[in-house]
Amino acid sequence: MISRMVFMAGLLACVGLWTGCGRTDSESTRIVVTGSSTIAPMFGDMARHYESQHPGVRLDVQTGGSSRGIADARRGLADIGMVSRAAYEDEDDLVWHKNARDGIAMIVHADNPIREIDTDTVRAIYRKEIRRWSGLGGPDRPITVINKAEGRSTLDLFLAYTGLQSEEVQADVVIGDNEHGIQAVIGNPGAITYVSIGTAEYSVNEGRSLRLLPLDGIPATTERVRAGDYPLSRPLHLVTRPDPSEEVLRFIEFTQSAEAASIVEAHYFIPLSD
Amino acid sequence: MPHEATMSCGRDRALWAASQAAVWAVVLVFALILFDLLRHGLAGVSWSFLTEAPRSAGREGGIGSILVSTGLILFVALAATIPLGLCAAIAMAEWLPSRARFARFARMSLDVLSGMPSIVFGLFGNAFFSIYLGMGLSIWSGGLTLACMALPLFVRAAEEALRAVPESYRAGGDALGMSRTRTLLRIVLPAALPGIMAGIILAIGRALAETAALIFTSGYVGRMPGALSDSGRALSVHIYDLAMNVTGGAANAYASALTLIVLLILINGVAVWLTHHGLYRRLIKT
Repeated sequence: MISRMVFMAGLLACVGLWTGCGRTDSESTRIVVTGSSTIAPMFGDMARHYESQHPGVRLDVQTGGSSRGIADARRGLADIGMVSRAAYEDEDDLVWHKNARDGIAMIVHADNPIREIDTDTVRAIYRKEIRRWSGLGGPDRPITVINKAEGRSTLDLFLAYTGLQSEEVQADVVIGDNEHGIQAVIGNPGAITYVSIGTAEYSVNEGRSLRLLPLDGIPATTERVRAGDYPLSRPLHLVTRPDPSEEVLRFIEFTQSAEAASIVEAHYFIPLSD
Repeated sequence: MPHEATMSCGRDRALWAASQAAVWAVVLVFALILFDLLRHGLAGVSWSFLTEAPRSAGREGGIGSILVSTGLILFVALAATIPLGLCAAIAMAEWLPSRARFARFARMSLDVLSGMPSIVFGLFGNAFFSIYLGMGLSIWSGGLTLACMALPLFVRAAEEALRAVPESYRAGGDALGMSRTRTLLRIVLPAALPGIMAGIILAIGRALAETAALIFTSGYVGRMPGALSDSGRALSVHIYDLAMNVTGGAANAYASALTLIVLLILINGVAVWLTHHGLYRRLIKT
């Protein structure tokens, strides 16, 4: 019994010692980045690259949504917030650093004969004024309306573009991430939703059965987002308080550099530089 | 009367067939999940996958640092759960009369806690450990949040195990003039050990499978943790991120999920083996 207690005490002491060591080691600068789950993997990737080039800097990238990115940057809980949309009017207390673009495509199942869609039709579908695909020249099948959860930047952008009010939307299914939306559409030939164009294009190239619908006559492709004429697109931002430190600014410059552009493309977003 | 006999015989057979079918259904679900994971994930699992750090947001490289973080979070969780939970279970099973108002209240709160959705624990852990106690997003706050989740499960399992020890064992201890503590440590606890181990396995299972409670407590950082005060990404958080947010992350999500399942099976196996061959016999002998 006594030997076991000594063993436990020793173990605890080791853990304590190790924790203590960790603290004294980390005299390097620590930069905390929180926000949008859509772009957190991309910035996490950039952070690892940056850390390997700047041994004194540690970047902790956390996720939780654009709203959290804004809130944490404001309260100083994070040095940088990740926000996957444009700034609202009451958000000019923060400095917005533009990083990349992302388009949002309306998607349906590949078996759906619908070939394109316009904003009026989208509005009618999301208000349940059109309830069956037959109303659009498709098969006699109910339309499953899939919407994004409250607090998602894609929802805000979708509402702003279509002019729909949040209360008007009669959703059958509410989802979170892009991949949720894609899986829901693949599993339901009557479904319609909207997801990031880059992610949807990748899934189509992987041979998954979904279709990106041209919106108001403009094909939903990353090229058209890059060209700037695809209407439903959003800027991806990093936000900081007005007086960010040298180190923070240096990292933000890196994320906007040509070197980081290849990482942006690797995550199926569209870099700023072109 | 022979009519009734065949009736009950028919009923027996129907019940038997139904329970047989239910068992096969359960086995089938497990087999389907395992088969799906093996089919998509087996090609991705290798020694380098298990030891390398993730690259390109987890699409390349491995899960070395993720496994270390997961292990540390689990260690913190168990180091808090087992002593605290065992003491609580002993108090409730051995000292408090089972009908006492306080015992009933404690049991009810534990049952409510164990049914609570994990995101509630996540928000609580974030508010209490990360912000109020100033631990930040760290392995400490992740592990302690998991401990809060696993405690009710473990306490109830350990309490049941202690209650299942026949009263005659305790009477035997008394008859030999052993103190209550000595009876507890030498007779009752060893006899209850298999049940307590089952409780630990349940707690580990719940902890390893947890995502929602960990995103806001131990966080999302995929780097190799240097201390328990660092943020560290747990395996389940990594799988969720790869499957949901990283375009092209499906292959490594499957490989990571397969690793998690194998890890769970291994832990189960070790615990069962320890219970029956190691600890149990040694404690009984001493």
